[in-house]
Amino acid sequence: MKVTIDGIEIEVETGKTILEAAREAGIDIPTLCYSEAFGGQGVCRMCMVEVKTGNRKRFVASCTYPITGEIEVQTKTPELEEIRRNIITLLYRRAPNSDLMKKLYQDYSCSEVKGVDPEESCIMCRLCVKACEKVGANAISTVLRGTEKRVSTPFDEESPECIGCSACADTCPTGAIRVVEEGGRREIWHKSFEMLRCEKCGGYYSTLPVREHVTEQLELDYADDSLCPNCRRKKLAKEVAEVR
Amino acid sequence: MTQTQVNNPDKRMILVCCGTGCLANGSGPVYEAFCHALEGNDQFEVETFAKATGCNGLCEKGPLVKILPDDITYCHVKEEDVSEIVEQTLLKGELVNRLLYRDPATKQYYRSHHDTNFYKKQHKVALRNIGEIDPTAVQDYLDRDGYRALKKAVKTMTPGEVVEEVLKAGLRGRGGGGFPTGLKWKACASTDDPQRYVICNGDEGDPGAFMDRSILEGDPHTVIEGMIICAYAIGASAGYIYVRDEYDLAVKNLICAIEKAKKCGYLGKNILESDLSFDIEIVRGGGAFVCGEETALINSIQGNVGEPWDKYVFPTEKGLWGHPTVINNVETWANVPVIVNFGAEKFASIGTEGSKGTKVFSLVGKVVNTGLVEVPMGTTLREIIFDIGGGIQNGRKFKAVQTGGPSGGCIPENLLDLPVDFDNLSQAGSMMGSGGLIVMDDRTCMVEVARYYVNFLASESCGKCVPCREGISLLLEILTRICEGKGTMEDLDLLESMSSTIQQAALCALGRTAPNPVLSTLKYFRDEYLEHINNHRCPSGVCKDLTEFYIDPELCTGCGRCRRNCPADAITGEKKKTHVIEISKCIKCGECINNCKFQAVKVK
Amino acid sequence: MIMAVNSQQIADRQAMEKIINRYPPERRFILAIMQDLQKHLNYLPKEALKMTADHVNAPMTVIFSMATFYKAFSLVPKGRVVLKACDGTACHIKGSNVLIDEIYSCLGIKPGETTADGDFSLETVNCLGACALAPVLVANGKVYPKVTPAALRKIINEYRGQDNDSNTSE
Repeated sequence: MKVTIDGIEIEVETGKTILEAAREAGIDIPTLCYSEAFGGQGVCRMCMVEVKTGNRKRFVASCTYPITGEIEVQTKTPELEEIRRNIITLLYRRAPNSDLMKKLYQDYSCSEVKGVDPEESCIMCRLCVKACEKVGANAISTVLRGTEKRVSTPFDEESPECIGCSACADTCPTGAIRVVEEGGRREIWHKSFEMLRCEKCGGYYSTLPVREHVTEQLELDYADDSLCPNCRRKKLAKEVAEVR
Repeated sequence: MTQTQVNNPDKRMILVCCGTGCLANGSGPVYEAFCHALEGNDQFEVETFAKATGCNGLCEKGPLVKILPDDITYCHVKEEDVSEIVEQTLLKGELVNRLLYRDPATKQYYRSHHDTNFYKKQHKVALRNIGEIDPTAVQDYLDRDGYRALKKAVKTMTPGEVVEEVLKAGLRGRGGGGFPTGLKWKACASTDDPQRYVICNGDEGDPGAFMDRSILEGDPHTVIEGMIICAYAIGASAGYIYVRDEYDLAVKNLICAIEKAKKCGYLGKNILESDLSFDIEIVRGGGAFVCGEETALINSIQGNVGEPWDKYVFPTEKGLWGHPTVINNVETWANVPVIVNFGAEKFASIGTEGSKGTKVFSLVGKVVNTGLVEVPMGTTLREIIFDIGGGIQNGRKFKAVQTGGPSGGCIPENLLDLPVDFDNLSQAGSMMGSGGLIVMDDRTCMVEVARYYVNFLASESCGKCVPCREGISLLLEILTRICEGKGTMEDLDLLESMSSTIQQAALCALGRTAPNPVLSTLKYFRDEYLEHINNHRCPSGVCKDLTEFYIDPELCTGCGRCRRNCPADAITGEKKKTHVIEISKCIKCGECINNCKFQAVKVK
Repeated sequence: MIMAVNSQQIADRQAMEKIINRYPPERRFILAIMQDLQKHLNYLPKEALKMTADHVNAPMTVIFSMATFYKAFSLVPKGRVVLKACDGTACHIKGSNVLIDEIYSCLGIKPGETTADGDFSLETVNCLGACALAPVLVANGKVYPKVTPAALRKIINEYRGQDNDSNTSE
């Protein structure tokens, strides 16, 4: 099926989202809550584009809009620029402590607003929740609703489900999830974990529950190495070289 | 199209309104008293019995009692009036004049409610049975053509013909958006997926609207019949009624109605000996306005947080559990049996070009006759508010009417002659919504009204998408600032720019329409915003930080009404002498201004 | 005293189990289960949420996000007297905010809060459908129509005077 994005004609298979099609064609649409691993969430609305079908023109979120017919898409119009500028304004107001938002706030030359909470960095993109679901831990979720909505563990307490993998923090675009690693322990989401130590380099790299979780997920009898990802890579490279 | 009560001269019925408004006014004990007075009483010439009915609409005059076939309506009936009604009216055939409806303008008494202005201009289709039947008695519904439409559809029409009929009738969704109902059905019926669902959206959440509640409480079978007809038309096997859990009586009456429909063979396997098998389950909503949004409602039924998703693929294609689903609102369902029974043409003969049939409104606020009214589409706002509603309370001045709930807007006086339909209201910057009509007078501050709705949405937004969650938070911050007298002219620009982003980029209709109360008040009542910002004054005397009341000595008669009603003892003055408000004690509640008969209390 | 609490806890647990087991172990009944639990216990204790999660085999995050999303649920016990101030539009423009302010000045609680002595809770509700009686206040299920600030004080005093036992049937 043929679609036109910013005047460029592209051949697309049915069901693909506008965002996917655009990115494949090398057209950049800004996003904050999108990750290829989790698909479109339709949360941040930065990726809004203008879609024309016949005589009808409307704004849609490109990350969730599936292409099912011939459409004409515009990704950069003055109206879309205003939408994006206002979204950045709103998110900067919410999370003035985030370096990413500070930068974007300047880049987009936004209207002047005062941050609500100077300590806040979370923009509620929910990538952390998606990551936690994907890992299979389900330790965090959104809680409350409306303007009060936020991400947390149940009761804001340490969650028995949390394995301390820090996938949430790794995926967070604004560094809003606090992870403290000190003296062989990792602290995250009100919970403290003993860390695993790499047999080779001696560096701390993961937590015990993570190793158990991986063993369980992959249905292994036991996880056979005690190396950090870096040393494991080196070991693998060496083995491959030897085989050659 | 509406029928009159089947009057059986051998029987006399006392219909006691037990809608929410009347119950709150004490109609429960009135009904009990009638039952008690009639039980075992052998003095009557004909069999006489009492019935508890749903809402009659004229909540202002409740508790209402109707006597049939005499066609007598009594207002404000109290428990202690019952024996007098039995003695005078039931036994002697005489009227109890003091309980009759009295027109507030002409002071004339009316024997029957049918003759009052409140009812004369109404046209009952969706509400046709409410107040006339006992909602727990399926026979009452059957006596008034109940389940006749279902029989007609199943026995004499093909599913396609039913869809065509609804399409031809021009019925549009009564829940808010006004999407053509027939198109929904058609889209759903034409999918390849054989597993299809029917949902009734009874998550009425507009603050100030209670028509769905009245229908579910007062005539549950009509909703059920509408859904079964749809199930036949689109080939669905399961239906869900999503209803607010706070609506105790509605839930109770629905459960009872579903059970009885099952017993009569209208629900279950092989309905009316056809191939149609269909069941209905009740899902009690958890209290979330956003669940009125189709996709959020589906999420809620599935056992999730009620967050909507982007509806680029309609629920008619991918809805409940991923299967094609038709969702219609309560009032929409109530119209379906009428269309099938009397034909699309007859239905479409009511209303305007683009909006067919009638619409139920809950007429509330500063209007004389508060209540539920049903009028043909195209009736003007003036007719509804002044002819039916009897105008503004306490002789004050009309300022605006708010339609469409938090998604709607405020319409000013110069648009009062607007014929009400889906398209006209949208053009005026408001919307039909589910049908709340909130009348506002000169004691209503329009900036504060905008703040009120935005504040409502701040806690009712699901919080998923940025424009809605963060945008509403910013709008609320700005509006609060203006109400406190700290707003600036730049604030107005930011309000407008952000509002437009929220309209364009929010995920669901709740978000996209959230700025309407702000934009419509900015459009029609900008001067009030400017008063707040530039002169630090709330002309209506509502925003406390900007209000100071005083008593005009020229107008004060010293009657003492304000003094007696002041909860803060802030008013002093001797009888027949000018009264004075002690500013330091005044809590600015406005009781004095509301109670003064001489307009002597003013806003500085 | 401690014994009494324990037997109360056991009774509560049994009651909760009974409520939960009325529903098939499917995720779509979470809302219904929690509503019944809320009605029975007047709030949702942590234990109730855990039992619900176990019953439908859903992660605790799902239960907790739902329990905090829907307004019908409360995670803390409500007061002996629950005041519900209708803040539907009709009530609002007829002064429900004045009533809410008045309640704050009388009892020191805002919507969603409970007095320190556990006597009163204040909630606002969107619309009770009794707009003809605006502004409406509901105290432990009893509807008070057209409430003025003066009438409000009387209502509060009326309930304040009650001793704890006389009102348990509500």
